[in-house]
Amino acid sequence: MLEEGQRLSDGLADDPAALDSALDDIRSILLDSDRQQARELQAKLDELERRVEDKDALTAIITPILSDAIRRNIRDAREEMIEALYPILGELVVRAVTEAMRDLARSVDAQMRSSFDLGALARRLWLRLRGVSSAEIALREALPFAVSEVFLVHRESGLLLWHVSRLPDASDDSDLVSGMLTAIRDFARDAFGRSGRQGQLDEIQYGAQRILIETAPHAYLSVVVDGVEPSGFRATLRDRVHEIDLAHEAVLSEYDGDPTPLASVEPVLRGLITAPTATRTGLSQGQRRLLLWTAGILGGCMLLTCGLGVWGWRTVQGLAAPPATLTPSPSPTPTSSPTASLTATLTPTVSPTVTSTATPSATPTRLPTTTPTATASATPTPAPIIGVMTGAAWVYSGPSLQSQRLPVYIDRGQSVVILARAGTWYRVRWSPPGEAEVLGWVPAEWVGATSPLPPGLITPPP
Amino acid sequence: MKEISKKVCLLGDFAVGKTSLVRRFVLNIFEDRYLSTIGVKVSRKTVVTPGPGDLIELTLMLWDLAGSEEFDQVRASYLRGASGAVLVCDLTRPETLTSLLTYADDLLRVSPQATRLIVAANKLDLTDQRRISQDELERVATRLNAPLYLTSARTGDEVETLFRHFGQMLVGEGG
Repeated sequence: MLEEGQRLSDGLADDPAALDSALDDIRSILLDSDRQQARELQAKLDELERRVEDKDALTAIITPILSDAIRRNIRDAREEMIEALYPILGELVVRAVTEAMRDLARSVDAQMRSSFDLGALARRLWLRLRGVSSAEIALREALPFAVSEVFLVHRESGLLLWHVSRLPDASDDSDLVSGMLTAIRDFARDAFGRSGRQGQLDEIQYGAQRILIETAPHAYLSVVVDGVEPSGFRATLRDRVHEIDLAHEAVLSEYDGDPTPLASVEPVLRGLITAPTATRTGLSQGQRRLLLWTAGILGGCMLLTCGLGVWGWRTVQGLAAPPATLTPSPSPTPTSSPTASLTATLTPTVSPTVTSTATPSATPTRLPTTTPTATASATPTPAPIIGVMTGAAWVYSGPSLQSQRLPVYIDRGQSVVILARAGTWYRVRWSPPGEAEVLGWVPAEWVGATSPLPPGLITPPP
Repeated sequence: MKEISKKVCLLGDFAVGKTSLVRRFVLNIFEDRYLSTIGVKVSRKTVVTPGPGDLIELTLMLWDLAGSEEFDQVRASYLRGASGAVLVCDLTRPETLTSLLTYADDLLRVSPQATRLIVAANKLDLTDQRRISQDELERVATRLNAPLYLTSARTGDEVETLFRHFGQMLVGEGG
């Protein structure tokens, strides 16, 4: 065998081509499997390179692996994960909670500022008596609530009877909504009321919005609200829908599809629409009324103070002056005014020790006389003649329709002080609450005097 | 112009083309899946039609009721308050015509005021598959005291005419 190998080797040495061929055969025998593996590895490498370059493919591959790894890590090392994430998540949570609390505080502040009406105060007092703290009341009242849409729907047919919305660009599909709403109500009743259970669908919730439903015999109200309704709101809805149902029973029981006869429900439904309470920052109606009254009282007090100041100053001036005689007024018109005003004149009953018969219109004139004519008692003042307006009347500057008509209108039932009579006219003084006093003439036919006028107050007609 | 609304039901067996008729006649905002969910879908179409003395803007609230046994019990409540109904049958399925009499009975039992009925014999476009004769249609229509229209929701044939005629019936004398 060795000899045969030696012979073959010698032959190959003599023939280089045969030698190469033989070597190729040997290489092929020895390296074929390695080459195959190398090709396969290269193909895999190419595929991997392609995947790495394709970001989407790479993400698709590693996402489930990473997710799984993270899930396992969270499950197995919860404490470590919390510690690792706390600096990031904790800060985010704290920031979000702080922001929410700040919003709530703003809402509470706004609510406290805008809740001075008597009704709210009484309600609060009642709640306090029942053990609810101020903070809880304020918190409850600060919860946002708004009514955005109100649907009045015919119960049997599902036809829309009336619709009002807070939103100016409300959808025109309110009739379709009312139809589907009715279908859903019917469906719920049929689906859950088969076993003899009585009931109605009275609420549908969708995210933060809810539809509150209150039903009357012929119609039902659907009210779209955001937030938590205040206590008693449901009862109000129930009252309104029953009132409407009762008031329009004839129309609703035989409804022919014409909503015109129901036009009067618009203000009732409009009254249910409320703006978001949590964002309300303006003054409430009660608060405005209170401020108006306060301003009026303060104004009145200032006027009174000014009047008293002037009167005091004049009195002091009069006392400090050399002996003088205060002359009585040429026309002793009684001027004991029950109200203070700039037109109120000094009264003749200032003091029993001072000879004071000051006039309503003239500044006291000091006469250089050495014989004071002071009297120990005031001149008797006739009681004011009170009149009641038996009809509403304009006030005139003189006792005739030709005189100037003042921009003042005295309503029926108002009390006036009758100062004089000229023909068929009374000169009256009217003191509307919180406003300046008015002096002028009104037709006597509209004034009922509570006592006869003294002859001195009556003058012949001009 | 006076504006009134009327509730109208579409009644008929499964797959006779009620929803297609409505879809052809109106623009819906609700998806058809409502029909399979709660058994009804409400659509609307407003037409101006001559009324007694004046034109009337009539809004038809079309209640498309699922024609399926599953919804039989629920359907009764959907019929309440209807002024009338469009009864739909399929010209290729004779049994859908006889069902109309049952639907009309159901409707009148629940809503006695729903006396306005109109028959739509649908799928007129499937000429070679038609299996209901004109005589049969007219016999049923006469029993229901309802006008008859041969319609095609696919081509739109007579769909508009049917609903306009029905609108006139609703606002007419006693409507």
